[in-house]
Amino acid sequence: MNLLQSITDATNEIFETMIMLDITAGDPLEKSVNSFKCSVSGVIGLAGACKGMIAIHTPDTVAKAITGSFLGMEVEEVDDDVTDAIGELANMLGGSIKIVLDSAGKDVTLSIPSCIHGEEYSMDCVADADWVVVPFTIDAGQFLVELQIKNS
Amino acid sequence: MNLDLQQQIIDSTQSVFDTMLMMPLTPGITLTEKVYNFKDSISGMLGFAGDIQGMLTIHCPQDVAFAITSTLLGIDVDEVDDDVKDTVGEMANMILGGIKDGFVEHGVQINLAVPTILAGRSYRVSGMDDALWTTVPFYLDEGEFLVELKLKAPK
Repeated sequence: MNLLQSITDATNEIFETMIMLDITAGDPLEKSVNSFKCSVSGVIGLAGACKGMIAIHTPDTVAKAITGSFLGMEVEEVDDDVTDAIGELANMLGGSIKIVLDSAGKDVTLSIPSCIHGEEYSMDCVADADWVVVPFTIDAGQFLVELQIKNS
Repeated sequence: MNLDLQQQIIDSTQSVFDTMLMMPLTPGITLTEKVYNFKDSISGMLGFAGDIQGMLTIHCPQDVAFAITSTLLGIDVDEVDDDVKDTVGEMANMILGGIKDGFVEHGVQINLAVPTILAGRSYRVSGMDDALWTTVPFYLDEGEFLVELKLKAPK
């Protein structure tokens, strides 16, 4: 499975069909990012034939822009609408990656999405897993989509 | 599903502390309110799926995470480094592993995802408000930590 292609395709499709925002994928990062400031992160776990996690990390301004476009409303601050939207985005990414894995004969199921919001926090994954982190750019700024996966 | 979730959490957490850490631990009473905000803390989150979907999270204030890490690894710890993060992630793994065994006895199969560790001065963890939340506080000499189990009703 080409992690980079899968995660890029999934993100592009969700933004085109659900969020209705133009995005541009950048080159995958060579080093994982695990410290975030004034950001919102959505995360969901994968379990089954492979296990792993998918996360989306958005600075507050980007999270508000995504939520505004997704829900069709003005978003002033990072409230429950925003954290729910970013959690739901992680859920949708998980759903797309699940389809890719299932069709490759690796049945996985998704855990439930969670959302983290804070002024300053770090997020690390302890698994010794394959990973890819792709930056995407929208008008409001840049966000990261991260996929970590390992065989069970 | 006829599972006493509070008891599952307490049995598994107690067993991890008895066998791996040999630290005396006192369980408290299940919280009636959800806790979202954490300060100077470390949280180990581990998702699972299968017959039921959900997430187990252990939320430790720094001092508690330091005490657990130094007991488990036999080293002095005074900052949130990889050792502390790995330990908190491993705690989530072990506690959920025990809960998984308890579920199996009731015919409920789950598979575990990989742990994710959050750390920071101030952060908020939300999501799945409509899930079934069970949060149990535990007390050590160094302070209190929370073990939280979120379950989504089976489809």
